[in-house]
Amino acid sequence: MAMRWRRGYLRVVRSSFATVPFYRELWALSGRTEPEVVPGRTGVDGGAVRAAALAGRVGDLVPLAGGPTEIDPLRGLGPVLAEHLAVTAGTLVAVVDPGTPRPPVDLPAGVRSCVLDPSGLAGPYAGVLDDVTDHLRRGARVVAVGGDKDLDQLAAALPETLAHLVTRVPVRDPDDLAAPVGPHALIAHPLLGVLGGLGGCGRWHIDHPRVYLRATPAGPAYTLLRQRSPRLVDVLAGHGRPGWCPRHGTPVVEP
Amino acid sequence: MTLTAAIHDPRADPEPDGWADFTARCKLHAVWDYGLMRLEAWMSRNPAVLGVVRDGDRIAAAATVLICRPRRARYADAPTRRKARLRPRWAEVYTPWLSGYPAVVFDPDLTGEGRRAAVREFERAVLRHVGPGLLGIAYRAVYRDMVSSMTGPLRRTWRNDPTSVLPNEWPNEDGWLAGLSKERRTSIRRYARKIDRDPTLEVREGWGRTDTDPYEVAALINSHRARLGRPRTDPRTEVAGVFLAEFLRRPDVRLLTYRDADGTLLAVNTLLDHPTSTVLQHWAARPPAEGGRHNLYFDCYLRCVRHLVSAGRAELTSGRGLMDVKASLGFRARELHTVAVPRPSVGRR
Repeated sequence: MAMRWRRGYLRVVRSSFATVPFYRELWALSGRTEPEVVPGRTGVDGGAVRAAALAGRVGDLVPLAGGPTEIDPLRGLGPVLAEHLAVTAGTLVAVVDPGTPRPPVDLPAGVRSCVLDPSGLAGPYAGVLDDVTDHLRRGARVVAVGGDKDLDQLAAALPETLAHLVTRVPVRDPDDLAAPVGPHALIAHPLLGVLGGLGGCGRWHIDHPRVYLRATPAGPAYTLLRQRSPRLVDVLAGHGRPGWCPRHGTPVVEP
Repeated sequence: MTLTAAIHDPRADPEPDGWADFTARCKLHAVWDYGLMRLEAWMSRNPAVLGVVRDGDRIAAAATVLICRPRRARYADAPTRRKARLRPRWAEVYTPWLSGYPAVVFDPDLTGEGRRAAVREFERAVLRHVGPGLLGIAYRAVYRDMVSSMTGPLRRTWRNDPTSVLPNEWPNEDGWLAGLSKERRTSIRRYARKIDRDPTLEVREGWGRTDTDPYEVAALINSHRARLGRPRTDPRTEVAGVFLAEFLRRPDVRLLTYRDADGTLLAVNTLLDHPTSTVLQHWAARPPAEGGRHNLYFDCYLRCVRHLVSAGRAELTSGRGLMDVKASLGFRARELHTVAVPRPSVGRR
């Protein structure tokens, strides 16, 4: 498992060096480690990049052959919900976030979704809130994803008899993994999307088929293994270090 | 005369001995700076290497060569990989971003038979560098008086689109304007007045500027090139921001920018100064449908001619393409040729 995960990462590094202007420039002229792509050049922070360094450079994250430039802050939500909450057809996923421009695109088949701005629940989003309420009345499952305060605002706007039926899935920034959470939670980053979730074992599991985590001198660096464009490789986010879950045998991030 | 040739890969090899002396002696443009060539090569699909022919210790000739491969959306492999030597490659003797000038430069003391010998020695060095996969060598943008150094059995020569040249024949810019048609003269003056008075347009020009984001400039140049459509045979890669970052801070490079009131970059031009042959190099503009302005192009030419005249340079060159428009601005055509050397003829007399 560990070797296969590592091989996927090495493929992404090689391909990014060969085709993506941002990484070509960074790693050819400065260098990187694990692996080195230009012998003898080790770069700064092992070749990892801070998210701030990518601001205004999204065009350079597109491979030479072309590709989309949109950043999806909800990328990876579907697979992580399916893995950690067994979200199935008939469930409604409500994303409660003032900054989310569009609904998630990678939910499992048959799962509906909607986006709610918590400040507009009594205004422009009242119709969407009615839809959520109807769903709960019918006894269907509603999974609400968002920040703690945003989820509280949603719960306050729902009828008291229904609010407790909502499955709350608070979102944590990689910086904030040490804070206490309930049974469900996600790790998400505005640039990288959803990186993993809280497992049944209480550890922060990485969405390892899609995300690689590596320790660098500047902290943990995340790589999206399946997003071709914009390519995000070794992006520094939050604190902690990579580890392995002794119960599941899969990668985790330890706060 | 004993000539020897070597290929220097700027990505891996140090600057050749005597290179600074040679560039000064031959008055080469800024793009021949070895540090810039290194940046350009790393960010290329077809990286440029430098061929150097020496007569004893002294550099007698030099050439920029793009080692090309069938078009793929990938940068070239790092120079340490040797396994690619059997793969098909061809060499284009071509200066990226200075397409109107030959990429072969001879020492002024080298003439006639010496030049022919230097070219053959250089070709043999290219063959050794690329390996058995070399399909041939193409010399692009060769001046007519240089063609004879490269021709021979099996070699083909043909004429390309010419480059445009404006000889400096006036004491001031009014002299240049007086030589244009009345319609063109009036329109250039009108555009200049309109741009000067437009409070929503910020025009800035300066040498060695560091106040502009080079990645923003690169993005505009690349989108402009993509919009015009690139020829299938163009061996160049997109302009890299890191290259421009180094290039624009040189004191002999002038950057001219046009921005609208909200700071959007509308058009950009780089002017490459030279003691005799100044180059109007990059021009890129946002199309009017995306907020661009009409006629900034002519204002740019007016500013470039202003420098040509005030600095007393011998000529201003403006590359290939749009020859009818450039002719209306007084530019003349300078003949350019291509010499194609198939593999069996490489290095042979």
